Amino acid sequence: MKRNSIKIVVSMILILIASCDEPKTVVTNYVYPDGSVLRKIEIRNPKNNFKISALQIPFDSTWSVKDSLEISVKGDTTWIKRAEKHFKNVDEINLAYRSDSGANKSYSRNAGFRKRFKWFNSEYRFSERIEKISAFGYPVKDFLNNEELLYFYSPGSLKQEKENGPDSLKYKALSDSVKNKTDKWTIKNFISEWTGEFSKLTEGKASNDISRESLKAREAEFEQIIAENDKKFDSLWANGVILKKFIGETNALRYKAEADSAMKSAESIILNDFKDYSLRIAMPGKLIGTNGFIDSSKVLLWPVKSDYFLTEPYEMWAESKIPNRWAWLVSGLFLVFVLTGVIMRVIKRG
Amino acid sequence: MKTESEKYNKVLNILRNSRPPLDSTEDIEREVINKIARAHQKRLNLSEIIDFLFGWVYIGWVRRSLITACVILVLVFVYQQGVILKRIDVISRQTVVTDKGIVTTPTDEIEKLLLGYKNLGRRFPSKTITISEKEMKDLLESVKELQIKYKDLENLIEGDPDLKKLIEQKLIENNRTKINL
Repeated sequence: MKRNSIKIVVSMILILIASCDEPKTVVTNYVYPDGSVLRKIEIRNPKNNFKISALQIPFDSTWSVKDSLEISVKGDTTWIKRAEKHFKNVDEINLAYRSDSGANKSYSRNAGFRKRFKWFNSEYRFSERIEKISAFGYPVKDFLNNEELLYFYSPGSLKQEKENGPDSLKYKALSDSVKNKTDKWTIKNFISEWTGEFSKLTEGKASNDISRESLKAREAEFEQIIAENDKKFDSLWANGVILKKFIGETNALRYKAEADSAMKSAESIILNDFKDYSLRIAMPGKLIGTNGFIDSSKVLLWPVKSDYFLTEPYEMWAESKIPNRWAWLVSGLFLVFVLTGVIMRVIKRG
Repeated sequence: MKTESEKYNKVLNILRNSRPPLDSTEDIEREVINKIARAHQKRLNLSEIIDFLFGWVYIGWVRRSLITACVILVLVFVYQQGVILKRIDVISRQTVVTDKGIVTTPTDEIEKLLLGYKNLGRRFPSKTITISEKEMKDLLESVKELQIKYKDLENLIEGDPDLKKLIEQKLIENNRTKINL
């Protein structure tokens, strides 16, 4: 046990160091009433190395860039790249997403803008959407209740603040509950992804006992096998023991290649290489709706993590309104006019 | 009284007989007529405008339509503003995130890797990283410190049979092979 602990701690520290090497990126969209968007990015890196292939969002030489550095009290240097570009409309942003060559190029992302005239007000909606990556996974809302869902989608700093705040016990319990349930959800997705992919690969070749429906019905059994073979799963899978146990010896021998291929596919989806970042949106006029978090400068904030769009599309949206002053004036004059006419009639009749 | 009347007639006769010499009586006549006509026309226009603007009040269907339009306008306004205020109220009750929130942490990535390790025995993916000598030294020192703390904890547990028993019992209860860090 001791050796294991040390091994994990050392691995974690190494991963932490490796993660620290990755740029921390925040992208802010300043949306204008005409649908144009000023996009600003701030990339912080402990090294002066900003390779486009390592960046989380599309960026190229057409952006105006300002480089700077910060030295902390401890003497650590952080290199900061601040860049901005004015996009005429969301189509230009979508074009940039489609031609992205950065770290998240394989993920389908797009932006949307809508303007609605509602006489007294004009309403604006801006959104950024990331398509789901798993074709067979379960929605996270099937595993978490509303309070847990809110916690699940919260930015890291908010979680930390709550866990260290006055209701720390409550939030620590909530955090544990979310962690346990999301762990279960991840395992379920892994199994579902494997069964889905495996049945797709063996479709038309295999008998009914390994059809999508029958494998799906036995997902709990597969989950049990994983739980029983805790930590030995990988080696037992490599030896074909688990596959034999699950689909029978004949099928296991016949479809080993398909099973391995489905396993790799499930693995690449669940343990994907998406690089997290934060997205911010500043809307024109008064904010009237959002599914994001509001920061101290009244700008909306979303953490962007692969778990959020693993099994369902992740849409970060905001709605705002700008009053149409002329419509208010016209309506006011119309009301006064009709009211005057009615009063005049009453007076004349009286 | 008679004398007064006589005096009046006398003055009138004098005035009639001593008229001022007028060169263009026609012009004066025209000017007077124009002024009278203008004054009459002005009064006529204002009432016409009022009649034109508010004439609809005497036409039943126009009056009803305009009043209905007014009511609809007011209702739309009240409804729209009500919905907006309700939505703004929901937003204003949301928790404000501090500026630190914009920075992402690598915690989730580690958690995902740990999940793979705990459940599937999956090894952490290898990565090429560059660590300075100072960072390496810090890392080794941290591991050494951790080892010392672990040993202290182990000694503490060994020295207290009750605590040892409690921990063993808890481990059996939870059937724990995973490690809480």
